This record gives sequence, structure tokens and C-alpha cells, in this order.
Amino acid sequence: MLESYTITLEVKRYDPDTKLTWMQAYQVEASGILRFVDVLREINDEQDPTLAWPSSCEHAQCGSCGIIVNGKPLLACELLVKDAVEQFRTHKFRLRPLTIAPVLRDLVVDLEKAYDRVHKAKPYLIKPTSPHPDGDEYRIAPKTLEMYSEATRCINCFCCATACISSHHHFLGPNATMANMVRLMDPRETAKKERMDILYRENNVYRCHTARACSFVCPKEIDVSHFLALGKEGRF
Amino acid sequence: MGEALTIDSTLRCDVLVIGAGGVGLRAATQIGEHRPGTRIIALTKAFSPQKSHTTTAQGGMAAVDPKDPVDRPIFHMFDTWKGSDCSADQNVVKKVCDMGWEEMVWLERHGMHFSRTEEGRIAKRPFGGHMLNFGETKAFRACYEADRTGKGIMDTVWAECLKYGVNFIGQCIATEILFKDGHCIGTIIFRFPEGKFLAILAKATIIATGGKTKMYLVSSNCRGNTGDGLALALNAGLPVMDLEAVQFHPTGMVGPGILASEALRGEGAILRNKDEEPFMERYAPTAKDLAPRDLISRAIIQEIREGRGLFHEGHNAHHVWLDLRHLPKEVHEKKIQEVCSFFKRFVGVDPEKDLCPVTPTAHYQMGGIPTNEFGEVQGDTQGIVPGLFACGEVAAASLHGLNRLGTNSLLELITMGRVTGERVIEYLKDAKEPEALSPGAPHMVFDQFSTYLHAQGKEKYAQIRDTLRNLMMEKVGIFRTEKPLQEAIEELRELKERATHIPLAATSLRANQDLWQLWELNNLITVSMVIAQGALARKESRGAHFREDYPKRSDEFNYHTLVYMPQFNEVSFGKRPIDMSIFEAKGEHFELFDYIEREY
Ligand SMILES: Cc1cc2nc3c(=O)[nH]c(=O)nc-3n(C[C@H](O)[C@H](O)[C@H](O)COP(=O)(O)OP(=O)(O)OC[C@H]3O[C@@H](n4cnc5c(N)ncnc54)[C@H](O)[C@@H]3O)c2cc1C
Ligand code: SF4
Ligand code: SF4
Ligand code: FES
Repeated sequence: MLESYTITLEVKRYDPDTKLTWMQAYQVEASGILRFVDVLREINDEQDPTLAWPSSCEHAQCGSCGIIVNGKPLLACELLVKDAVEQFRTHKFRLRPLTIAPVLRDLVVDLEKAYDRVHKAKPYLIKPTSPHPDGDEYRIAPKTLEMYSEATRCINCFCCATACISSHHHFLGPNATMANMVRLMDPRETAKKERMDILYRENNVYRCHTARACSFVCPKEIDVSHFLALGKEGRF
Repeated sequence: MGEALTIDSTLRCDVLVIGAGGVGLRAATQIGEHRPGTRIIALTKAFSPQKSHTTTAQGGMAAVDPKDPVDRPIFHMFDTWKGSDCSADQNVVKKVCDMGWEEMVWLERHGMHFSRTEEGRIAKRPFGGHMLNFGETKAFRACYEADRTGKGIMDTVWAECLKYGVNFIGQCIATEILFKDGHCIGTIIFRFPEGKFLAILAKATIIATGGKTKMYLVSSNCRGNTGDGLALALNAGLPVMDLEAVQFHPTGMVGPGILASEALRGEGAILRNKDEEPFMERYAPTAKDLAPRDLISRAIIQEIREGRGLFHEGHNAHHVWLDLRHLPKEVHEKKIQEVCSFFKRFVGVDPEKDLCPVTPTAHYQMGGIPTNEFGEVQGDTQGIVPGLFACGEVAAASLHGLNRLGTNSLLELITMGRVTGERVIEYLKDAKEPEALSPGAPHMVFDQFSTYLHAQGKEKYAQIRDTLRNLMMEKVGIFRTEKPLQEAIEELRELKERATHIPLAATSLRANQDLWQLWELNNLITVSMVIAQGALARKESRGAHFREDYPKRSDEFNYHTLVYMPQFNEVSFGKRPIDMSIFEAKGEHFELFDYIEREY
């Protein structure tokens, strides 16, 4: 049967007009199968329409809804109330915006700015190999693809970058670095030298201390630090 | 609210893409690659184009390699025509099916990570309604990247755009299309972070705002799929076409309606009722679980109506089962990894061991802004509107007619995106830089926003939104009849009026989610009205549009519905003929492209 929970969300709020920051608590009676985005919507509907929070696809595919819950960066759209209660062993949750970009309002941060990091990693093929002699697709063995296909699942939610201690200053961050790694491992890319420059540039992969926080928090369960380690070792 | 509503600044470009999803950016890459130096601006509501809804598409993209030993483009054309229930435009069907493979190779060569066969070639899987030899047996035609094909496309075109220096503007809504002497000259956008209006003037504008089924209670669409593009066109006095054709995907996960891709059935999953009977065998003896979506969705509702469905208490919804238990572990882990994880996470079932509860979910709208086969927008009497283009899910060229086959939409993105891009390049040859807007000129968007900001009353946003979603689901959903449709139209009128009495809790323009959503709600009501009106007028059943009081297709309705609604509820109708050029060319198998029977 339907299990219901009384939970409290303590939300870190920010008003761009007054520049004020404060904590505000909302108590909600929520069915266990609701996602955190549903709970936030319920708060908008029943209690406070001014509370702003980000989302788009609402099923863990676009990476828009990252927030920090009790210290852990995660996707608000895939955290069910019952799982949250179990995982954090509490009915009280502190919600904060991601720390990777400036806050626009409440839980919404300017991920548009955070994306600059990914753009710098040049996620495209800089210089593709010449076409297959038949004029059709380049041939890639499934085994080769498997070496890096996990990394292509990244949705740029920036949870890893938020968790990563070193990403705040000049380090491109785990997800952007991984995007570069994908193309280093992609047999169709010939501009390996340029890619290595991006990888080993002062601000990049050596900033990573292999503490693996990124792999730990990734909602897509990608072993991000594995790909960074390959980069450090030059195995691609 | 002290601030006056004004245009803060003006940007200029050659090409403006309203909607940086799969199709918008495929068009942009075509222009970037073949006309270097073109100044392109691409808009999205999301933080980044990469977060557009195309990214959630799972199953695949149909395309026939002309060198394929068994499949042929003409089979694909036939399936698309038959799938549409004889209402697609054959000039577009032919063009898209002929170009398909070339575009797969384009994507692959620009870095998409397709799944591969042992020989290293692009892998293919079967999908609903796609068959060999004119309906004989299932075809392996859908090229895919595991169950994240849309993400593969989105990542590719988005990254390519970075190469060409396309200027992305995120977190914004295009609120009004601008015209001068009948030419489209750009748009006015409203930016979420700063709460400012900007004019963007362009020589050519492409509307590519994508999907729009968020007016239904159960929907696979994202939060922002609110029909903005259609509302913009309607407000500008332009017609929209075939909006009554709304596709319900048979397998939404019970609850919010998250999609469980047809790829699951492509890989062998089976629908079962409460007695675990594989009931599709009764409805479509040949195609079974791979029959087209409209047919399966109706079959599911029929099973539920006749007492062979189940009831999910947690989500308070009826459903049937999708059975994936017999699929090999390898398939679960590699080919349908994301979807399996959704079932585990959102529904709490493990598809390897448990039956999965599914129910039809509003998924796709076949209709849209009418265009010709080059993506040029048609205005009155089907003449084109200079400077205005549309493609992708917001447009209707029409590849799908009144019912779309799975995997044909992603195909449409990359083919029609390219075609539209090519046309824009042509158009730019003689296009002039638009003149500056006269300062202080009146704009519709300012009227709309002032109404929202000054509204007084007791109405609540959430109530109106929920009433709308329930109403559309019940009365303008899978099964339709005259009386409920008339009631729906009446209720939509009321909702529109009530929506002007929603007081905003905060009237700051900056990062005001409430204000933004109110604008979207108005678009949803506008588009819903046109869906209901179209559904009432089409007194027949064809493709996804099913009238219980007129359950058969009727030759009388062999046309596309055009609806104009320059003011809310000021509705007028028009017709566009269905293009029959494959039939009329009298080539090989032309007789199959007549108004044929549709059985699976
Ligand atoms: C869950 C799901 C799975 C699917 N799976 C498949 C599949 O396997 N195969 C298949 O062929 N099809 C599939 N489809 C359908 C297909 O994915 C869509 O039809 C297609 O992706 C739409 O692409 P688009 O580029 O037209 O729009 P979108 O990708 O939705 O992009 C629209 C863009 O416009 C922006 N926008 C919207 N309104 C405004 C505005 N007012 N101002 C500025 N910007 C705006 C949006 O933010 C977005 O960036 C699926 C659809 C869904 C929902
Ligand atoms: S690696 Fe994982 S956590 Fe990091 S951005 Fe990608 S999906 Fe998010
Ligand atoms: S392993 Fe490296 S990239 Fe990952 S969180 Fe630690 S420092 Fe950051
Ligand atoms: S809203 Fe898309 S990942 Fe959560």
C-alpha cells in the first residue's frame, strides 16, 4: 500500500533582487513514490509559488536538476522520497544549490556558465579520419567502443564537478575532462596532439587527486575517475 | 511592479534558430559547414542546447542503406504512408526516406557513437510498423545508440555548432515573432536570469521549438514542452495543421508517464493483460507487439475497459504489463540499460525479474506549423512567408500525417534539418538586413506580461494547470466523441478566462519561475483549444485521431486540417490537400500509395 512520509525540506534561498540569502523550512506530507521534483512542485502549488528550482526531462536524462541534498550532489528528479528517507536515514533534508556556478534564485544556478568548461574540452571531432573507402560509416569494433562508451553517457549535470574538491578554480573538472578523454579514445579523432595539450595543460588532469568523489556521486554511475586516471597514465 | 516593460537591447544575426534542439541545430550545422562566417544565434529554454528534449529520445532512427541486401527505401516509404493512415505527404516521405542513410553517415562522421555490429558497422533493430516487402515481416531498420539515440544526435549537432561559433542563448523564451512588410525579421526574447527583453533581428528565422504534449496529465514530454512555437505562430495569424493528431505512446511507465521505448518491444518485450495473455496477438495478428502506436494504445485501453487491465494503487492508475523477463541479460545490460534503470528507480520493479506496469502516455504531436518540403512556412493560401522557416516536431511538412511511426521523428530531424538549412543558405543570397525596430512600438508580449503582472483574483495556477491536464486526457485523449469534445471547448474557454485572474506571488521580472510558467500555461490552453477544435471537426477516425462516433476513415477527410486562431477562440478552418506524388508518378508499386486499407 501507499506509504506516506512527513518530511521537512530546509531550503537555502536566495533573492537576486535583494541579494539576501536565508534558510526556509517546508513541511510536506508526501507519498514515498514521489520524486523530489514532485515534492518541490507540491510546495509551489500548496505553500510557496516563489520557490525556484530547476528541472526539464524529469527522468534523469538531461542533467538540469542537480541540487545538493544533505551534502550530496544529486538529481532531484530521480530521488524518490522513500529512497531518500532510507539513504539519508532522516526525514529532514537540507537542499542547497550546486556550487559550480552563480546562483540565479534559490536552487537554480547558472549552468549556462558552467558549460563553458565543457566547451573548452571541444566535445566534437576536431579532425576526423578520412572516410571509409566504401564512402559509408567508419568501422568501429564493439570492443573498441566499449572502452569509452560509458563515458559518453554523461549528461553534464555537474554533480561530479560540484563534489570534486579541485574543480573550482582552474581545473576544467571531471565531466569536461572526461569529454576530452572520449575523443582521445575515439578512433575517428586524429587531432590527438591538440587533445593531449588540453588534457595536460597546467589547469587540467593533474589537478585531479584521484579522490574519486566524482565516481561516487555520478547519478549515471559512470566511473569518472577511471577515465581521468587513464588520462594521467596516457592510456588511450 | 515598478519596472516598465521595454526592450533592453537588440542583437543582430543572419540566422536565428528559435529552439536549439536536434532539428534546429542540424539546420545550424548545415549552414555553419556550408556557409562559413554566417552569424547564427540559437535559442533554448534550457541551460544548454544539450539539455533539449531530443536528448531523451531512446530507441532509434530509421534509415535504409541503399546497399542493404533485403531492405529498400520504397518499403520504408510504404510503411510511413500506411502508418500515417494515408495522410502523410508523399513528396516529403520520398525525400526523407531517400536521404536517410546519407544522414546516418553524416552523423557518424561527425562523431555520433552509434552501437555497432561485430563487423563494426552501425547496428540496427526492428521497430513498430517498419516491415520488409510491404508489410510481410519485421525489418531491421532503426539505427541506434543503445537506448540513448536522441542523446547521441543532440551531442553531435550541439558539439558541431561549437565548432562553427554558433551563439547559444539559453534560459530564454521567444515570446513573439516580428514581421515587417510580410517578412519575418526575428523575435523578442525574455531572459530568465536577468528578466530582460531583447530583440533579435535576423535575415532568416527558423522555428524549431519541438514537442508540445504537456497539456495531458500523463505525458512523456519535458517540463518546457508547452507548445510555445505553435502559440507564437497562431498569435501571428499563421495557420497550424493537423493538431488533432496527438500520439499516445502505448508504454509510458505508470505514474508520471516516463517513456519505456518501443525499442524494448523491438528487442522482444511482450505486452500482457492481467491474465498475462499476450493480447496484441488478437488485435494485430501479423505485427503483434510491433504494430503502430495508435493501434496498440487503443488496444490497451480496450483491455482495461473490458476488465482485463490492472490497477496501480500507489499511482492511482490503470495499466497493463510489459514483460521483459525473457530477454537475455546481455540485452538488459547493454542495449536497454537506461530504460531498465528507469523502471528500477521510478517504479521500483526490476525488469529482469518483474512484470513492468505501463499505460499509454501523450508523447508526440504529428501536426504543427505547415511547411512545404523545404521547411518554408506556409501562410494564407499556402503561399510562403518570406524569411520564416520551421522544422522538427513543431512543424508539419508532413512526414507523419495523422500518425507517426517510431524512429521516423529522429530521422525527420536530421533530414529536414539539413534541407531547411540548405534552403536558408539559398534565401540568404538576396536577403536584406532588417531595419531597426522603431523605439516604443507596441508589442503583444508586453500586453501579455502586464496582464500577468497586474492580475487580481482568487484563481490558482496549479488548479488551472491540473484541470487542463485532466480535461485533455479525459475528453480529448485516445478515444473522442462529439459531446465531450464540445464540453472540452467550452471548458477551455472558461480556463482561458480564469487564467487572467491568477495573481502572481512575486512580480519581480528576474528569475521568476511563476511568471514564466504562467506564460507557458497560456500557450498550453491556446494549443489545447486548437487540438479540440480540430478533433471536433474531423468526423472520422484516422491514425492517432479516433472518434468513437465515427470509427472509420472517410475519403471525405482526405486532407490536412488547417486552423487559424489569431485571437483566442476566434477559430477558422482551412484545408491542405495531401500530396500524392509517389502515386501520381505511376512508378514501380505506385498502386500501394493509393488510399489503401490499413491492417497489421
Ligand atoms: C521520451 C521520448 C523518446 C523519444 N524517442 C524517439 C525515438 O526513439 N525515435 C524517434 O524517432 N523519435 C523519438 N521521440 C520523438 C523525438 O525525440 C522528438 O520529436 C524530437 O526530438 C523533437 O526534436 P526537436 O528538435 O523538434 O525539438 P526539441 O529537441 O524538443 O528541441 C526544442 C528546443 O526548442 C527550445 N524551445 C522551446 N520553446 C522555446 C521558446 N519559446 N523559446 C526558445 N526556445 C524554445 C527548447 O528549449 C529546445 O531547446 C521521442 C520523444 C520523447 C519525448
Ligand atoms: S560524469 Fe556523471 S556526475 Fe559528472 S556531469 Fe556527467 S553525468 Fe553528471
Ligand atoms: S577523482 Fe579527480 S576529478 Fe574526481 S573528484 Fe577527485 S579530484 Fe575531482
Ligand atoms: S530533470 Fe532532467 S535529469 Fe533531472
